Amino acid sequence: MLRTKLTGSRRVRLPRMKAATAAAVATASLLALSACTPGASTNSSAPVKSITVLVEAGGHAELQPIADLYAKDTGVKVNFVELPYNGLFNRVNSELSTGSVSFDVAALDAIWLPTFAAGLEPMNDLYTPAVTADNFPSVVQEAKVGANFVGMPAFTNSEILYYRTDLFNNSANQAAFKAKYGYDLKPPTTWQQYADVAAFFTKDGMYGAPLPGAEETQYLAALSQAGEKEMVLNSAGTKSTLGDAASLKALDYYTSLAKYAPAGAAAVDWNAAQNLYNQGKSAMMLFWAHAYRQIPTSSPVYGKTGVAPMIAGPAGIAGVPGPYYLSIPRQGAHLSASTAFVKFAYDHNALSADTSLGLVARISALKQYEDKPGYAAYKPMVTTLSAPATITRPANANWQNIVNNALIPMIQKSLQPGADNAALLKAAAAQIDQIVQQ
Amino acid sequence: MNGLESRRGSTRAILWTALTVLVVLYAFPFVYMLFTSFKTPIETNAIPPTILPSTWTIQNYITALTTQGVPQSFVNSIQTAVISTVVSLVLAVPAAYAVTRYRTRLGRVFILLALVMRMVPAIVVGAPLIAFFHSLGLSDTSFALALAQTTISLPLSIWLLASFFEAVPDELEESARVDGCSRLGSLWRIVIPITRGGLAVAAIFAFLASWNDFIFALLLTSVRAVTTPLQIANFQSQFGLDWGTMTSLAVLYSVPVIVLAIVLQRHIVAGLTLGAVKG
Repeated sequence: MLRTKLTGSRRVRLPRMKAATAAAVATASLLALSACTPGASTNSSAPVKSITVLVEAGGHAELQPIADLYAKDTGVKVNFVELPYNGLFNRVNSELSTGSVSFDVAALDAIWLPTFAAGLEPMNDLYTPAVTADNFPSVVQEAKVGANFVGMPAFTNSEILYYRTDLFNNSANQAAFKAKYGYDLKPPTTWQQYADVAAFFTKDGMYGAPLPGAEETQYLAALSQAGEKEMVLNSAGTKSTLGDAASLKALDYYTSLAKYAPAGAAAVDWNAAQNLYNQGKSAMMLFWAHAYRQIPTSSPVYGKTGVAPMIAGPAGIAGVPGPYYLSIPRQGAHLSASTAFVKFAYDHNALSADTSLGLVARISALKQYEDKPGYAAYKPMVTTLSAPATITRPANANWQNIVNNALIPMIQKSLQPGADNAALLKAAAAQIDQIVQQ
Repeated sequence: MNGLESRRGSTRAILWTALTVLVVLYAFPFVYMLFTSFKTPIETNAIPPTILPSTWTIQNYITALTTQGVPQSFVNSIQTAVISTVVSLVLAVPAAYAVTRYRTRLGRVFILLALVMRMVPAIVVGAPLIAFFHSLGLSDTSFALALAQTTISLPLSIWLLASFFEAVPDELEESARVDGCSRLGSLWRIVIPITRGGLAVAAIFAFLASWNDFIFALLLTSVRAVTTPLQIANFQSQFGLDWGTMTSLAVLYSVPVIVLAIVLQRHIVAGLTLGAVKG
């Protein structure tokens, strides 16, 4: 039997050799075809026909109108590469550290700039007095790492107050609220008013406001509202400021709001909080300004939502600025073309207003649209970002690490029954000190 | 007698109940994902969550399939997984055969090293590969991605195949060699036909390693070679979480693997039991 097969195999040797040769040719062809890729090295002296812009998933929507106009005006096509938020960080980190950069421009979160600054092209020449004057001080401040500006503002964001106009304008609610609290029912402007309104509406399956305990920025806003001048870290970035009176006041207030939100606030993230409001189950929410344009038409709160500036604590109104910047890698293949696009994008920043999220950076762009229908969130955002108590997150390369390993766990523990907030703040401060002193 | 039958009936009922509970628990994540894919945007994140959609919609599927790049990502995923599986098997078969048949110290070290490769996080391998493929002009290609994924699937394939080859009695090959068959010939004519179930197992694991890979796709693709796991992740951003579209795409993405598993089921079962009654 074996012998028969062996004999047979000799007869088929030639066809098998042909098959092997065909496979080798196919592999070589595949390799050759694969080599014709955008990633292949390019001649930097040749005219640039296209540039690659790395953006967070969905982030190209804000830049698409600008890219379209840029292609029309200059003939240079803009190719967007979309990646998930954390994936974008990992990709940029890997490419900058290996020196093998596949993109020309990246849209980066403000908190990443200190981490990537060494690999980014300085843009000091682009920061003219006119540019500085047309952006919020916090946005200009976050763009500067050390001596260099390493990003041009693409858009900015801030938490603002959302409230149900149908509930606030209801005469029965107005009368009942006044009878209980002694003042008119209106969009709250202070910590006390916010807590009162939240308490008033927490009944019959309705909640006052969701509390995103799995996120850190709402607590950070409360920190600024409480009067903290340095957010979490001292100005040198060497020691945590948590544990002082303002941080305790902020955490005590923040955790006191849990009773006006669904149980399990420690697990509630931005998506859950936003959805609770969009489901019509919450009378208010403190949320990023872009959410105003995201309310689905099928939502019971669509057309019944009012917006106002962030609430004020003892130190006044304050929010956390959330800007994104366009940055250029030092080792990018087309530095001058990339710089030209970034400048163009900044000059035409207002085009981003007419997109799904409608986020822009320049104050002039915000003011250009603030009175138009659909842009009600712009004024509260300007008020919040212009407020003297609003401060930025620290420009520290360890910031994401601090958030993930110290701040969010501390906030989540503070939402457990019987939590000792003072002890939690001290423990978090000690942990942060360890992180920044490593 | 009636009492005995009654006890047997009770035992069977308990076993069936336990089995049903286990199957429900095991299948629940997929079933929940399936139901979520038919929910409206408001209901996908409802608090408290619902299991069955109150309103059934196929809008998520339409959105998923009409999103730019999604259909191409399916093609890329299939292409990458096939290349990675073929390369894995082509390299793993001779490696596993040599290790099991020559039984040298070097072979044992080699197979241990292969296991160590499985312990290295993919991102550690992926970051240097960015520069490597860039220098070869292979950035953003399915071929490069498949090669990168082979670094993960190859060690597993070698380990799996080594255990299957080990189960083939030496005597069979010795008989073949007595009849004039070479080492390579006996591998091709004796060992591979006997262990085709094992090969199917190795193939499906290699295919799955590539099919579900996210890290290499994240690091090594940009536009042309983007695979579906990356596209699924892109529906989650800082500005929103589109659970409906994500789950609908995940359901569609799981279909080819389910079909593959059904087609290869007979071989897989045969492969997994290979050597079970050796000796």
